[in-house]
Amino acid sequence: MDNNCFTPPRSKTLLAVTEISLASLTAFQLLLSGNSEIWQIIALSFGVSVSAIIIATPVALIVSFTLAFFQFPLRRTLIALFNTFMSIPAVIIGLTLYLLLSRSGPLGHLGLLFTSKAMVIGQILLCFPLLVAMSHASFQAADRRAWETAITLGAKPWRAFFTLMHELRFGLIAAVVAGFGRIIAEIGCSMMVGGNILHATRNIPTAIALETSKGEFAQGIALGMVLLVLSLSLNAGVSIFQGKGELRA
Amino acid sequence: MNNLIEFHDIRIRLAGKPLLNITKLSVPMHQCTLLTGRNGSGKTTLFKILSGLLKPDHIRVHYQGLQMNWRQAKPYIQRDVIYLHQQAYLFDASVADNIAYGLRRAGEKKAAAQRKVIQALDWADLTHLAHRPAKQLSGGEKQRVALTRARILAPRLLLLDEPTASMDGEAKQQTSLLLQRLKAEGVSIIISSHEAHTVENIADQHLTLDNGDIRPLKQSAAHDKVTVLNPLKNTP
Repeated sequence: MDNNCFTPPRSKTLLAVTEISLASLTAFQLLLSGNSEIWQIIALSFGVSVSAIIIATPVALIVSFTLAFFQFPLRRTLIALFNTFMSIPAVIIGLTLYLLLSRSGPLGHLGLLFTSKAMVIGQILLCFPLLVAMSHASFQAADRRAWETAITLGAKPWRAFFTLMHELRFGLIAAVVAGFGRIIAEIGCSMMVGGNILHATRNIPTAIALETSKGEFAQGIALGMVLLVLSLSLNAGVSIFQGKGELRA
Repeated sequence: MNNLIEFHDIRIRLAGKPLLNITKLSVPMHQCTLLTGRNGSGKTTLFKILSGLLKPDHIRVHYQGLQMNWRQAKPYIQRDVIYLHQQAYLFDASVADNIAYGLRRAGEKKAAAQRKVIQALDWADLTHLAHRPAKQLSGGEKQRVALTRARILAPRLLLLDEPTASMDGEAKQQTSLLLQRLKAEGVSIIISSHEAHTVENIADQHLTLDNGDIRPLKQSAAHDKVTVLNPLKNTP
């Protein structure tokens, strides 16, 4: 018989708070002691997500600029598709990629399933529509005179593109940060195509899920704290950056 | 009268409707042309075509002794023609950086560009604004910075879209003074303006854009006065 049935509610709360406090303390100790397993998970997580965002961003910027500045057939359909895929569940991307990369799938011969490369591919697919949709909104709202002025002053189109990006840097950086936020914390895709293998494909979200399911809250809280600090830092950085922009205008 | 550039058969349709169908537009060398026309007559579209920003359905360009189609003429046009918007666009940088923009894009070394920028600021009496963020300037100051930024690239033709619109009297006077100086330096200018009286004193000819075509309205009364102002007028 479960003894907890007879524990008064107030005591239950106290127990939970104590348990969380102890777990948080252990989490701090784990982080500060340089626990190799935790820091390896953090490094892998950042490595995968930073690689994905670095690969996806330049392509997404070119695509979003093209969608905003040029007229061509299916343009509107493409914009609608990117807007739709922006909120596609990570697990759907994971499932699709799993089917493609599994041994019997069309890309199975590449041997990418359950590798960090597969995780990078998954995260690129996840953040790409978000990057395109948000950057497209920035380019769409851009003052066309910026582009025309750069061109009439002798800038080559690629140079005018960089000038335009500089003019829109606040919106574009917000898009990149949002894209990074989406992939650093996603679990569905990483779990399916990475497999959550220790020292190989275990990242922060999959590790948190695993440790929590085992009742080992300390490591989960430690990794959760890293994600929280990252999220706060990114948002603070963007706010400060955008604040400087408002002062200039 | 020598022409700097001639445009023939300029045709463009926008939203399925013909907007421009200009048989011939000659730009006289070292002269200022005033272009008027009602709202929506296509003045801005014409300027964007003439500056290489907008591809027309058809055009033939006669420039530097060459007959060219759009594709062939575009590099020459983009090198020698500068278009200024009705409300000048300045990049999110200092005034000095804005003026240096074209020079840096043309591959000018930083030190040389800096020297030219200092001279240009002095020319336009904008030295006191050199380090100000360009976005914080008034409309009149922005227009003067834009003119200086264009001048530093030594264009042969300047296309100015309503350069004195929404300006107060003093700003109009300062802009008008810069335009006179530019003309005196031998730059050909086409100005579109609703406020003909503001620029009439520097215009040599007055054209009007009506029903998609251009026709001369009158030879400007200021033609002789301008001839005196312009030392390069008779250079071949």
